[in-house]
Amino acid sequence: MKNIIYTTVFFACIMFASCKKYLNETPQGVIFTQNLSTPANVDAQVIACYSSLGNDHYYSPWSSMWAFGSIRSGDAYKGGGGPGDISEFHAYEVFNINNPTLGPGDQTWYQLYVGIAYCNSALNLISGMTDQQYPNKLQRTAEVRFLRGHFYFLLKILFNHIPWIDETIPKTTYDTVSNVSFTSDALWTKIENDFSFASANLPVTQTDLGRATKGAAQAYLAKALIYHAYTQDNSNNVTGVDLTKMAQVNTMCDSVINSNVYSLMPDFADNFLPQYRNNPEAVFAIQYSKNDGTPQGRVDAGHCLDYPMDGEYGCCGFHVPSDNLVNAFKTDANGLPMFNTFNTNDVVPTGDYTTNTFDPRLDHTAAIPGHPYKYQTDLVYQGSWARQPQSYGYLLSLKEVVNYRDPSFQRFPPFMSSSKNWAIIRYSDVLLMKAEALIEMGQQDQALPLINQVRQRTGNSTALLVKADGTPTSNYKIGKYQPGVNCTWTQDFARQALRFERRLEFAMEGYRFFDLVRWGIAADYLNSYFAVEQTRTPHLAGASFTKGRDEYLPISQNQINFSKGLYKQNAGW
Amino acid sequence: MIAVMLVLSVAAFSQTKKVTGSVISKTSMAPLAGVSVTAGDKTVVTDSAGRFSIDVAAGKTMQLSFVGMNTVTFTVTKATQTVSFAMEDASNDLNQIVVTGYTSERKKDLTGAVTVVKMDDIKDIPEGNAMKALQGRVPGLFISSNGNLNGDVGVTMRGITTLNSNNPLYIIDGIPTQRGLQEINQSDIESIQVLRDASAASIYGSRAAAGVIIITTKTGKKGRTRIDFDVSASSQYFNSKLQPLNTQQHGQAYWQAAVNDGQDPNNNGIYTYDWNKDYSNPVLNKVIIPQYVDGAKTMLSANTRWFDEISQNSVLQSYNLSVSTGTDHGSTLFSVGFYDNNGIIKSSNDTKVTARFNSDFSFFNNRLKVGENFAATYMNDVILPIGDIFLLSQIENPIIPVHTVTGGWGGPVAGMDDRQNPVRLIEQNQQNHNNFLRLFGNAYVDLAILPNLHFKSSVGVDVAGNYFRSIQLPYTSGFLSSPITQANTSFDDEGTFSWHNTLNYDLNIKKHSLNVLVGEEQVKDKNQNFGGSGQGLTLANINYAYLSSATNTILVNGAGSGDALLSYFGKVNYTYDNKYLASVTLRDDGSSKFGSNNSYGLFPAYSLGWRLSQEGFVKKALPMVSDFKLRYGWGQTGNQNIANNATQTLYRSIYGTDITWNFNQGTAYNISGSGTGSLPSGFTPIQSGNPNLKWETTTQSNIGLDFGLFNNKITGSVDYFVKTTTDILINPPYLAVLGQGGNTWFNGASLRNKGIEAIVSYKGNITRDLSFNLTGNIASYRNKVLYLPSDVLTGYAGNGTTQTVLGRSVNSLYGYVAQGLFTSKADLDNSPTQPGKGLGRIKYADLNGDGVIDNNDQKFIGKADPDFTYGLNVSLSYKNFDLSFFLQGVQGGLEYNNYKYLTDFTSLAPGSNWGVRTLDAWTVQNPKSTIPALTLVNANNEGRYSSYFLESASYLKLRNVQLAYNLKNISGFKKLQRARVYIQASNLFKFKSKSNTMPDPENPFSAYPIPVIATIGANISL
Repeated sequence: MKNIIYTTVFFACIMFASCKKYLNETPQGVIFTQNLSTPANVDAQVIACYSSLGNDHYYSPWSSMWAFGSIRSGDAYKGGGGPGDISEFHAYEVFNINNPTLGPGDQTWYQLYVGIAYCNSALNLISGMTDQQYPNKLQRTAEVRFLRGHFYFLLKILFNHIPWIDETIPKTTYDTVSNVSFTSDALWTKIENDFSFASANLPVTQTDLGRATKGAAQAYLAKALIYHAYTQDNSNNVTGVDLTKMAQVNTMCDSVINSNVYSLMPDFADNFLPQYRNNPEAVFAIQYSKNDGTPQGRVDAGHCLDYPMDGEYGCCGFHVPSDNLVNAFKTDANGLPMFNTFNTNDVVPTGDYTTNTFDPRLDHTAAIPGHPYKYQTDLVYQGSWARQPQSYGYLLSLKEVVNYRDPSFQRFPPFMSSSKNWAIIRYSDVLLMKAEALIEMGQQDQALPLINQVRQRTGNSTALLVKADGTPTSNYKIGKYQPGVNCTWTQDFARQALRFERRLEFAMEGYRFFDLVRWGIAADYLNSYFAVEQTRTPHLAGASFTKGRDEYLPISQNQINFSKGLYKQNAGW
Repeated sequence: MIAVMLVLSVAAFSQTKKVTGSVISKTSMAPLAGVSVTAGDKTVVTDSAGRFSIDVAAGKTMQLSFVGMNTVTFTVTKATQTVSFAMEDASNDLNQIVVTGYTSERKKDLTGAVTVVKMDDIKDIPEGNAMKALQGRVPGLFISSNGNLNGDVGVTMRGITTLNSNNPLYIIDGIPTQRGLQEINQSDIESIQVLRDASAASIYGSRAAAGVIIITTKTGKKGRTRIDFDVSASSQYFNSKLQPLNTQQHGQAYWQAAVNDGQDPNNNGIYTYDWNKDYSNPVLNKVIIPQYVDGAKTMLSANTRWFDEISQNSVLQSYNLSVSTGTDHGSTLFSVGFYDNNGIIKSSNDTKVTARFNSDFSFFNNRLKVGENFAATYMNDVILPIGDIFLLSQIENPIIPVHTVTGGWGGPVAGMDDRQNPVRLIEQNQQNHNNFLRLFGNAYVDLAILPNLHFKSSVGVDVAGNYFRSIQLPYTSGFLSSPITQANTSFDDEGTFSWHNTLNYDLNIKKHSLNVLVGEEQVKDKNQNFGGSGQGLTLANINYAYLSSATNTILVNGAGSGDALLSYFGKVNYTYDNKYLASVTLRDDGSSKFGSNNSYGLFPAYSLGWRLSQEGFVKKALPMVSDFKLRYGWGQTGNQNIANNATQTLYRSIYGTDITWNFNQGTAYNISGSGTGSLPSGFTPIQSGNPNLKWETTTQSNIGLDFGLFNNKITGSVDYFVKTTTDILINPPYLAVLGQGGNTWFNGASLRNKGIEAIVSYKGNITRDLSFNLTGNIASYRNKVLYLPSDVLTGYAGNGTTQTVLGRSVNSLYGYVAQGLFTSKADLDNSPTQPGKGLGRIKYADLNGDGVIDNNDQKFIGKADPDFTYGLNVSLSYKNFDLSFFLQGVQGGLEYNNYKYLTDFTSLAPGSNWGVRTLDAWTVQNPKSTIPALTLVNANNEGRYSSYFLESASYLKLRNVQLAYNLKNISGFKKLQRARVYIQASNLFKFKSKSNTMPDPENPFSAYPIPVIATIGANISL
């Protein structure tokens, strides 16, 4: 019996003697919070902030903003396989069926806050380092604040009322920060503060060409200020122009210009060709790369739908220049834009680009049947390359794409894109922002040479716009504004010239809509555009812009819900 | 039913004497070898002739037990000398031994809700997964499956228990696993027992919340050497196809849509129309189809029936051979199985080879038993993008030919959606195979310290690995093309090591019967994976497509993870006088997944039973009642099914990710601006830890009764349960400002299911030769969300604020109410503002009455839960024939018909093909139609989640019908232990609601279609 008891006890002991450590499992393949605070890892976290610049996707392309700023501006149609192909973008384009549940707005909101969260986390890590440990402390702080400013800038122009989260706010209280905790004015000031800090503490040049510089920060500060300068009321009406801010814009642009780091490229085309990456016109650009060890390269995925449907490409025909935009490139006998009459006769259905004269930027911007595609005389764009001509016609956008033979071209079937950089601010933008500030300040005469400088370069940009036989692709004529000779340079005229120049210079680059909203003309402009353009294309049926509402995207219903109603919907929605 | 027992001979002796006897099977009338005959502490086993002899005193009871047979108890009288028993197959017997978790009980002593599956009903169904065949056979157990060849299924028990995985825990020969049963050879399964309630399942504690299914595999039978061979061949076909438009019809629908939009229909690039050009009263004379689809004249216009191009009638074969033997000192079973399933989608194939070796050895007069169960499964699957192929076969334009005139791939041209040619997807992927190997088994030792005190220790190993190698081939298909040739290889393995030790003590004193079990169990899981890919292959050939052949874009990846469980448990069963039953269970489970404060969870349970039929007053008053037992059980079970390291805040460097369909999640950036070369990389938070995480707990009460009437001709049971899960682990969507890695697991939600389940069997004879057995079951549950933290409400149906899923079923459906179509100008003018409204457009209800249709006009419009589910099995036996059929159904509940995007609209996927229903769409001339007017522009946002897409999910299916003939009594087969041939069919008929427009309500959208399977097979035993 004793043996039995001993045996039983023995087995019972085996059973209950297991050690506590059995449950200790070390997570595999991960980094712990305590590993982060080393100079190398702080630097790495700054890289993560930069990575957010180009981590977008075709469904929410914030790197170029084409789906938000181009197809909503009258410059472009959505394109693709009919209105049902990414129907959310169709809703953006026609405005009347836009609503707070559409995915791209929510995703873009989220992804931009991912970038902001990286920035705040990096700022906290940096502030935990001493100058001795981390000699780059100040400069890296400035870089991160520049990037945070960029992400907030995009959120601000898209959504207007956004929650401001910075590194001083503990994560546990994020859910107490409303999108209306700060006024629109205060938000702009906060964004400007980030850029001010950056411009004060960044070097003029950086060894790593992808890093933000003093010039980039000054230019972006100017950009934020110029939006801020057009004051808006709570119904999105522009109520006035803050000339003090315009003066600051002017000063900032001057700093950039006088740094002598930046200049216009000799040929407009250079801005959109991969071999000229990090050229002196690219004040700040997103750096893309390929053959970099990532699955398909860190390429410009935001533009991956914008290629034509021929055998060398094959997808997806999005981002189509509107007839209105093409007509805007017409020039008069003086080589000047036809402010009021450009759209009277539609040149697109005629396919005739020789009777009229055109601004050369037309063929840098739009792919037109019979014209060389991306400057390749042996690769002529065909009407059959169009995706859905019955909805969107035969044109396509050119600035963002590359020739398929270019080393930067990258396929990720069914899509494709390139490692060509994408400039967020070009030097011509700095010149035209300065011009705009001056005009608003009543100093239009000083703005004139700036606008003409941009037009001068355009005039020099026809070398690549030739057909196989060497003749010009279209009939180009561009002239400078010569007060007293071909125009009367009043403030109103200058303003009109400036706004038209911005349209032609930055067409299809993603910000046109935000210009229209900033100037307070979006509703009138777009409703007039719809009235005519609806007669040219079926897909705009029903399109209409609601003033006091459509200037901004609605706050995503998801975010309002997740915030338990703390977030308030935008005006008019 | 108690076994028939014949006392043949009588003699008078007192005290201990030798009793001899023989045992036969009542069904086969053949001698039964290996039957355990127990009297007191003596046990003998019958020999190959079924004979035994044992010393026993008069007045004592003798017990004969044999797996799969009803246990026979017999009291030896002074007269007993030679006895003969005919044992009956245990189908519904109260003495049947039921494995209930680390131990076993007689069915009549059970106090929990346990269902023993009748293996005979399902053993010949060639579905590749025993669980698939169980759909509708066990009340409360719901199997969701599709025609997927590898047989993976979803299993829910008693409704949705948790918001995480609802798959039950399988205990295979005592070893817990959560991998599916498709990886186990169905023929190797001796028994399946389903523990439905917590009092039965809670001995398995931490992972038992969603139910426990106990599988016991076959072993050799004592005293018998036996060879079993099963063979079957099946033909499969899919009998209810969707009806996409043909080329002519597609042209017609396009014309109608364009005309409705006021657009010139000829502006489309493909079709030209001869029509009257009158938009107010359009008449189409002729659709003119061009000779070529494309401008380059490579594709002749076709009328391709894409589903026919990708599907086939296919053959499924199954072979099983098992050899077994058993002696007093041990038994051995060896089996091999081969299963080859060619799917109804061309080139799809699943081949499965299984082998099993189960053996045990007894030493020291049976006091020490050592054994093992070991199985190996190899599966080879052709990996096709089945979902894409099936969907594409519905939406690819019929005008596209399969091949170009030069033999290339047909594909989309301008004006069509960017859809792949599904035939190409088959042809260019058929060389890609996944190889799966699973080794699963346990070794155990069982030591009888005393005859009634056993120590058992069992070590289990479960290793499953996948090796997948594929080649991505270049193609040109219409405007789609890819120049990439890429070799991909990946390997992942998942291993579980488990060890459990139990002490089991039995005590029978007079009318008291006590069983005590204490035990300990430890489980460790590990998984790891790596993969690579490379391009630049010299040969575009699977035989060359190894990573070493790649010359550029060579990428690798890999990861790993693990978790551990450590548990202590105990169970006491007590029975008094076979009348009063009680059981108490306690399990303490520790998991590595929770923080050290909460790593242990305690899961108690108890249950009580009262066999009223044993009470004298019942016997007297209700003689027709042969058995009547009331049961009540209460218990708690747990769930820990979350990410392994959810308590910790973790970061990871992500260099770059596949950007084809998703955001680049990478944290690397080309900071140098060079445009190429290796990049510096940052890191990203991957989750926010919650150190306070604890077990999710399911508390379940079950009240049940088991009954047998008229000498157990009618048997059945009814159970009512209330199952409440609290602290449900959730990982909800979160406020965007938190950024990447803002996701946190926490204990948040509560759900309750209340339900009732009943099963009734009736066994009878019409004539001596014609007997039948009817078994019907019905189950119903109501799900209710009791609590969700307000943060996560929006992750579920509703608007998250005023209308939430709280108090409703978690399967509630929320959306707009479609009120038919606008059919008149007056109707349009008098209706609320609705952007995009027009004649023939869907009219949505203005639920809040503010005169505008917007997001606020949504409400709860139904739920997906069925009202009830049911099954009816009928088996008839006439002489050597057996006929059985099994009906299964679901009644009530709504489902979202994704197909309607295509069948009813030309605007939601304008570049795709559509369904024939579009030809009957609303027009002024066809005003009675309920299908919205065709349009190419979805201005009315009709793809919104609305009641238009909801359809009744009810169906009734003839799951299985089988006719078998027993050859055993025919001369020439008499020497065989078993000789049977059968024909059967699965999924032969289905009935669905008229309002349901999809081909198969059980299988919404693009999952692998469930085919009809017609089978011929034979079972032979030597």
